[in-house]
Amino acid sequence: MIPVNLVLGLGLLIFSIGLVGVLVRKNLIIMLMSLELLLNGVNIILAGLGCHFKSPRGSVFALFVIVMAVSEAAVGFALVLSYFRQKQRADADELNELKG
Amino acid sequence: MFAWIPVFPLVGVLLNGLLGIKYFSKRAVSTVAVGAVGLSFAASVASFVRLLGSTEPVVVKAYFTWIPASLVRVFGGRLQSLAIDFSFRYDSLAAVMTLVVTGVGLLIHIYSVGYMARDRGYARFFAYLNLFTFAMLILVLGANLAVMFIGWEGVGLCSYLLIGFWFSKDTAANAGKKAFITNRVGDFGFILGIGLLVSALGTVDIGEIAAGIGGGLLGRGTATAAALLLFLGATGKSAQIPLYTWLPDAMEGPTPVSALIHAATMVTAGVYMVARMHVLYSFSGTALDVVALVGALTAVYAATMGFVQNDIKRVLAYSTISQIGYMFIGLGVGAYSAGIFHLMTHAFFKSLLFLAAGSVIHALSGEQDMRKMGGLKARLPVTYPVFMAGALAIAGVPGLAGFFSKDEILAAAFASGHYAVWVLGLAGAGMTSFYIFRLIFLTFYGRERAEPEARHHLHESPRIMTAPLQVLALLAIVGGYAGLPHVLGGRNWFAAFLRSSTGISDHPLAASAEIMLMLFSAGVSLAGIWAAYVVYVKKEGLPAERLAARFKAVYRLVSRKYFIDEIYDRVAVRGTLALGRLSAWFDARIIDGLVDGSGWLVRKFSSASMAFDEAVVDGAVNGIGRAHRAVSRGLRRLQTGYVYNYALAIVIGLVILVSLAVTIF
Amino acid sequence: MTVTLAIFLFFAALAIVSAVLVVLQKNAMRSVLYLAFTVLAIAGVFFCLQAEYLGAIQILVYGGGIVVLYVFVIVIANLKEAVPERRKLFPKIFIVAMPALLAAEIALAVFKSRPAAAAGPEGGLELGALAEALMTTYLLPFEIASILLLAVLIGAVIIARRRSLHDSR
Repeated sequence: MIPVNLVLGLGLLIFSIGLVGVLVRKNLIIMLMSLELLLNGVNIILAGLGCHFKSPRGSVFALFVIVMAVSEAAVGFALVLSYFRQKQRADADELNELKG
Repeated sequence: MFAWIPVFPLVGVLLNGLLGIKYFSKRAVSTVAVGAVGLSFAASVASFVRLLGSTEPVVVKAYFTWIPASLVRVFGGRLQSLAIDFSFRYDSLAAVMTLVVTGVGLLIHIYSVGYMARDRGYARFFAYLNLFTFAMLILVLGANLAVMFIGWEGVGLCSYLLIGFWFSKDTAANAGKKAFITNRVGDFGFILGIGLLVSALGTVDIGEIAAGIGGGLLGRGTATAAALLLFLGATGKSAQIPLYTWLPDAMEGPTPVSALIHAATMVTAGVYMVARMHVLYSFSGTALDVVALVGALTAVYAATMGFVQNDIKRVLAYSTISQIGYMFIGLGVGAYSAGIFHLMTHAFFKSLLFLAAGSVIHALSGEQDMRKMGGLKARLPVTYPVFMAGALAIAGVPGLAGFFSKDEILAAAFASGHYAVWVLGLAGAGMTSFYIFRLIFLTFYGRERAEPEARHHLHESPRIMTAPLQVLALLAIVGGYAGLPHVLGGRNWFAAFLRSSTGISDHPLAASAEIMLMLFSAGVSLAGIWAAYVVYVKKEGLPAERLAARFKAVYRLVSRKYFIDEIYDRVAVRGTLALGRLSAWFDARIIDGLVDGSGWLVRKFSSASMAFDEAVVDGAVNGIGRAHRAVSRGLRRLQTGYVYNYALAIVIGLVILVSLAVTIF
Repeated sequence: MTVTLAIFLFFAALAIVSAVLVVLQKNAMRSVLYLAFTVLAIAGVFFCLQAEYLGAIQILVYGGGIVVLYVFVIVIANLKEAVPERRKLFPKIFIVAMPALLAAEIALAVFKSRPAAAAGPEGGLELGALAEALMTTYLLPFEIASILLLAVLIGAVIIARRRSLHDSR
């Protein structure tokens, strides 16, 4: 049996890496990819707990998370494409019109 | 009945004063005024008659409560209820006074119709005359000192109004002021006297005061003090030493005024008051002696002035002062009825003399200086005889009124042991006849020294003026017989009549002594006339001039009225003015300085307050604004606009929350 | 050490390394490649965790769908040349420190408290149990998920369409 702590630790690690990626990178596409990592990390935790508790619930929730990841990726791409068409760049640092 | 006596003049005042000045014709005015006094006289006569026939000698009637009752603490600790009613007292003394006031007043009113005929202030004059009559009647009818005081003040006011009648003339206005202010000094004493009596006895009613004295409630010292204080008021009103200086100046007023107020009535108010309060004065022997002494000194002192005055009215003014001195002598030796008797005869002959003098002045178109008169005997055939009658009366020539009254006073003085007073009085009598005949001789005899202009218009006065003169002359002659003494065969009806109100002098005199005294005074007065004749007729005034040249200093002293006026002016008038200036300086400098100083303080304080407000308060408000802006500027830097920064912020928040969760759990 | 554990560890290591590489790449294309590796590694982890169905979906959807989508977007948007500047150093350290701190704290929190034991039979991990749970207890979320997908489909098309003929690319 896989110790559940290990799984949780793995999930947490992946989650953190993804978080770092979202915060550090300026490239919008890579930001989105880091976002996928975040969600994957969560899925690992869910699956691990489902396994630990011998319950299908972990998988069910992980499934829903995947659905949402997909939705968010699709919409995000649409936005990036639309933005890129206007500005020819995909730099997060230029999205500063909320500056106040 | 007697209550009606003052009502008519009051109506006269209201009509003439309120309506007459604007709407009435001269005829209407005079009708109202003379009618008022006439009716008043009729009422006086009626009351007199009723009194003669009635059994009660004194009638007191209260009309309304003036000051309601309150408790007064008197000397000795007792509590007394004091209420002052407006009430009248009618007895023989009041009867005599009302008859004299209204009777002589009526004659003078009639005379004034002619004398003031061409004056612009005709209605005003008669209004004032009626007002005066009203006030004088209140004075003599008052049953208590408060009502008497109303009249007292009222006649003082009218005196001011009438002396300064021609107020556009500076001398007249000043004379009015002088009269009023001098009177006021006396009134001050009068009020204090009333106050003292209230404190001692708790009443102002004359009857109650008499009862209180009789019952031994009043200490002799207090009585003397009160009597002297009241007498101070009398000296002011009756022009005795020391408050006489206003009377000579009062001659600035029209001649009828001089006759009525300054001969017959107002100046006699003081005499009346002492006679009324005779119980008080008799009780305090000291006060009585003071009265007699003051009277005697004044009589002689004023007579000396008559020797050197050149204004005909001034001579008469000093004569009045002197004669009132005689009245006070009479009162002062206890012969109250004698004093009142002389009051009555004096009213007759002095008003006669004044009115006749007015006639002379009128005839000479306003000339009053005797040096510019002379030889008028033939030119004024109506005025001359009546004038002579008055002069004979005042000189005390036997047979006329003045002789009887003056003699009674001197006899009483002698009989009661006041020998010094008697000597003074006798001397004064001689002087009186001298100066009055000096006046007669200078005016009617000798060369005509009048100005040509005046001589040209010389004319006798109209009937309306001469008729009252003749009536008065008659009274001056026969009036004395009312008091014909026993020793000459009469029964002195006057003294007997007055006994009920003023008591009787209890110093009997042997008949022989009385006859001797009479001869003395008769001799003295005749000697005076003869001396005047010698000096002014035979020698044409030369001895007088030579004496005046020889004794220049004395002459100057007397003719300048012993410089009393100047002394009073220096001491009292200038002193008061200086005090006033001092007070004004004090007020301007110190008090105003305080006020200005506090104003300055307030201004400084308010500017400091404003500075504080600006600096501190506004600073605080602005400071808050500035701090706010600084904080916002700092906080604004959080809004970078970069999404990743916001994401970082979320993460940081999450970290903090989790730390909290970890630490708590 | 069991076989499952060893395989798990292998896949875990692979996932971690790939993830790190995803974040660190400059080239977006390379990031996508490493993302693919990560996804597959995680799928493997799922298999080790007896969540076979989940692993299969992971490969299919993530690997086949999303990664391919990423490639397409990069190609269409021509983003491989658009490489933006890196940020300054100091902020980067701080930024890295924060999630590290977070992770540490969560780990601390989790490991301090013992995870509770299984609270009774939950139905097991077989596919049948999963299907049953999905179709009965979690039916509503299931249906909503399908509606969400529909909405996303429409929405993405709307957002990304060309506004006019003048829009470039």
